[in-house]
Amino acid sequence: MEKLLEILEDIQPDADYETCETLIDDGILDSFAILSIVSELQDEFEITITPAEIIPENFNSAKALWAMIERLQAG
Amino acid sequence: MSLISMEFLLFVFLAVVGYYWIPQKFQWIWLLIFSYIYYISGGLQVTSFLVFTTITTYLGGVFLEKISEKNMEKQKAKKKKKQILISVLLLNFGVLGVLKYTNFAIGTVNTLFGAEFNTLQFLLPLGISFYTFQSMGYILDIYWERTTAEHNLFRFALFVSFFPQILQGPIGRFSKLGTQLFEAHSLHSEEIEQGILRIFWGYFKKMVLADNAVIFVNAIFDAPDVYDGLAIIGVLAYSIQLYCDFSGGMDVVIGIAKLFGITLDENFKRPYFAISITDFWHRWHITLGTWMKDYVFYPVSLSGWMKHFSKFSKKLFGKQIGRTLPICLANLIVFLVVGIWHGAAWKFIIYGLYNGLIIAFSGLMAPNYRKWKQKLHIVEDNKGFHFFQIVRTFILVNISWFFDIAKDVPTALLMMKHAITKCNLYQIFEIKIGEASGTKYTLVAILVILFGCLAVFIVSFLEESGKDIAVFFARQHWLVKCAVYVGLILLLPALGQPAGEAGGFIYAQF
Repeated sequence: MEKLLEILEDIQPDADYETCETLIDDGILDSFAILSIVSELQDEFEITITPAEIIPENFNSAKALWAMIERLQAG
Repeated sequence: MSLISMEFLLFVFLAVVGYYWIPQKFQWIWLLIFSYIYYISGGLQVTSFLVFTTITTYLGGVFLEKISEKNMEKQKAKKKKKQILISVLLLNFGVLGVLKYTNFAIGTVNTLFGAEFNTLQFLLPLGISFYTFQSMGYILDIYWERTTAEHNLFRFALFVSFFPQILQGPIGRFSKLGTQLFEAHSLHSEEIEQGILRIFWGYFKKMVLADNAVIFVNAIFDAPDVYDGLAIIGVLAYSIQLYCDFSGGMDVVIGIAKLFGITLDENFKRPYFAISITDFWHRWHITLGTWMKDYVFYPVSLSGWMKHFSKFSKKLFGKQIGRTLPICLANLIVFLVVGIWHGAAWKFIIYGLYNGLIIAFSGLMAPNYRKWKQKLHIVEDNKGFHFFQIVRTFILVNISWFFDIAKDVPTALLMMKHAITKCNLYQIFEIKIGEASGTKYTLVAILVILFGCLAVFIVSFLEESGKDIAVFFARQHWLVKCAVYVGLILLLPALGQPAGEAGGFIYAQF
């Protein structure tokens, strides 16, 4: 989780990732930021993220992102 | 059947009355019948293309879902699903491509190789881009298991053909629109009132602003050498025309859907208040933008070859630029598609790439912008800076309009040159309007546009400040509301242009 927060801070510093649960709904992360995050996550956690995973439910919070990473690592 | 005609209003009236009069379980069938009557009224021959898209997409969706449910080996199922998806996409985009772009391809081959192939005559089905995109979004959503397939062909046919939106969108998603189309709707006076208000607002924008502005636009851009001092006026008039034509059309469409209790997605969110080109595309033709993002931008960015490119560019340029570069490339591809979607001509390709390059450049420069803002102590909510961003974006957008409206790229560049080097505003009175052919009527048209723009600006500014004008209007006494409606009914034909002078909706040709 710490590594994930580090990646998020690096890509889009202006957000409180510990508490925010509307990263997509409030437009904090735009499509460029989402794909930058995806690129880093794929390298860092050795997962493959497909277009099917790019939904607000997976990107609205750091917690949701972490759940997606764990699910993709397991499956 | 034009959206601005008595026969269309009568058609809508009959559709709405019957919709609430018949048993609710038949409402969707009623809408399907009216949707097909509306489409067939535009030409029986082209209806076959609509039926083709409906049937192929419907079957594709059902088969895709069946494979998901079957106990098939995972890899085999994946392969089979991909085959079905590609077949449906190729068939439908193939039809769209052949009908819309064959002559562009022939023209390009003739120019490049000096060949003399004859162009072909095609009947372009109304709204083919919109219903094809909507249907292909549906099939991709099923492929990615974001939605479930519709098993009733006729219900699916309604999703593809729903008459208010088929000609110029908004491009709907099955998960949102499908449910609304098929569920029972009771008559709610607030929804009828909201719908009527929205329709009137749309007609105001279209008839009073777009149809008056188009006369200046046509005059100036048809004879750029004659009106060489009016390039700026021409492009500003086009800004007004395009926005009021398309968003006015959307207001009418969304208002009509509201009469049936159906809420369509918004397609415009005060685009001329945008603070960047990216922001502009989040506010202009929103449903096309989100469609492109979900079904082109993300899949291209996450494709295998883009992953390889990402690794290569990270090695070459380092982490930050390396990860942004592939996204910029995918973005350029998206805007190339957007450009081609706007029309089969090089000027539209330049228009798309111009937008794509600005957004790509902004994406690459984003970390630097953050640093510069910190150094210059510019805070995001600084009003002066915000205003500067709006003006800058408006200028950038207007530059793109030159490519959109001029007859070709050299003319667009010539007009841009004129905009900087020549300015003679009095030339505007040389544009004769109406049969009276005096400058007097030209002045009236200019004043109508200016006051109309002021009205649209005030409403937009209030909405941008978070105020809901529709709610405010709904709270007024019924006498006030009646007076406004009567006033609009009298004003619209008086201030708008007669049918001969004005054109149809621009986006209805897509």
